[in-house]
Amino acid sequence: MIKTVAVPPQSTARLVASALAGAWRPSPPAFGGSANDLDAVAPLLLGSGAGALGWWKIRHTELRDAPAAQELRQAYRLHTLQSALHERRIEQVFKLLGESGVDAVLVKGLAASRLYPEAGLRPFGDIDVCVRPEQFAVAAAVLSGPRGQEFSVDLHRGFEDAAGRGDDELFARAEVLRVGGVDVPVLCPEDHLRLLCVHLLRHGAWRPLWLCDVAAAVEHRPEGFDWSRLLRGDGRRARWVTCAVGLAHELLGARIQDTPFERESRRLPRWLVPEVMKSWETPYTHLQTPMRHRAPMTHYLRRPRGVLKDLANRWPNPIEATIRLGGPFNELPRLPFQVGNVLVRTARFVSGLSAGARGERRS
Amino acid sequence: MKLKDEESTAPQARTEGLIVREAEGEVLVYDPERHRAICLNQTAALVWRGCDGRTTVAGLARLLHDELDAPLAESAVWLALDRLGREHLLRERVRRPPGRAAISRRDLVRRIGVAAALPLITSILAPTAKAAASCLQSGMACTSPVECCSQLCPGAPNGACA
Repeated sequence: MIKTVAVPPQSTARLVASALAGAWRPSPPAFGGSANDLDAVAPLLLGSGAGALGWWKIRHTELRDAPAAQELRQAYRLHTLQSALHERRIEQVFKLLGESGVDAVLVKGLAASRLYPEAGLRPFGDIDVCVRPEQFAVAAAVLSGPRGQEFSVDLHRGFEDAAGRGDDELFARAEVLRVGGVDVPVLCPEDHLRLLCVHLLRHGAWRPLWLCDVAAAVEHRPEGFDWSRLLRGDGRRARWVTCAVGLAHELLGARIQDTPFERESRRLPRWLVPEVMKSWETPYTHLQTPMRHRAPMTHYLRRPRGVLKDLANRWPNPIEATIRLGGPFNELPRLPFQVGNVLVRTARFVSGLSAGARGERRS
Repeated sequence: MKLKDEESTAPQARTEGLIVREAEGEVLVYDPERHRAICLNQTAALVWRGCDGRTTVAGLARLLHDELDAPLAESAVWLALDRLGREHLLRERVRRPPGRAAISRRDLVRRIGVAAALPLITSILAPTAKAAASCLQSGMACTSPVECCSQLCPGAPNGACA
């Protein structure tokens, strides 16, 4: 059964979805909006890193000469150059880690952008690198050293977003991408799609570009893609993956007809699409958790002014709260997960305070 | 930067250290030394790539004429060379010979009437925010090291990224 969702048809979030539908394809479908629609949606695309994809969609239409289109085109040009610059940085980072004997795998970023017709269509800000937990300290030391600190690396201890896969297994199945003169390991297509799906949901799916990544990974999968590997293991986590793919279909028109879980992906929980749409109304980094926090909570212990407002800023997105508590994607209300997430974070905060106090007493 | 005086001197493009990409018929150049991103349209790119240190201005004009099949005069080449020099995309800036006054793009359009074929060199300015980053930059509030790009969150769970 396909459920209809309560989303205003003319919302800016809907325009974002329309502007990005199929944008990861070499010949994307035309954007059906007007010049006014483009004016409305361009700032959202630019602010969320999807400006180049926006240009890709309209470059062969009559909207291409509109002022807003020229801004999208500038983003496309800039991202094209940035991707070349990033490739150089990735090469240097992996050379550096390799010299220290660290096994590392590149995820998202370039590993995702290679699924697009041109690397510049999918910008990436930092370099996401996963290392074995036992090598994390060495990797962190290398990257904070004199040669490493010039790079913006998001270093991960293992593969949190691969949800339920062992690190050894992921390393063993990694593929190699040649970047400049260096071999850079990336996850195999099945593991990478799983990681993209979980990462998307763990951050509340607020960035439209991440959903494009999922769509691109599904549509541009290689022959012999192992669906059973993608979904193997804990059924709850497999459902996260089918929901993420279903979102890509529902909002961006990703082709899922030839996937073995098409029916399941089309059955999204009723609350999911409206929640994503709500985020897409303002898909800007500074408005997301934890960037929207005005100050650390300890600050309010001394100066409580503004604490209530900042507590409201800390109320979790239901998608993110569900994932962080390992919850199921079903029709039940999300409030218990949101409350649970707040309780977990509060407990962590209090235990941090007590540990700090004990440390101060000892010293 | 030195200026070349001789009209017969052939300009030479500077390419070392630059990141160059082609996209949609344009040439995009990033100069890491000056943190400048520049876009050359097809005509400007032809001039820049033709600057091999042997081809003279007259030769570059012929090149444009052959490649673009457009009635572009030497003035168009000079226009491109002026701007390329200002953007540090030539090894040495080239000085116009006496008697050949600078001509603006607008004047050239008026004279030739084919705006699209004229050399155009523009700066690329667009939002450069960490467009797709999912980690926190230095100084931002953090609750655990994994949230920070640096992986350092002094004072966690109520700290700020190092």
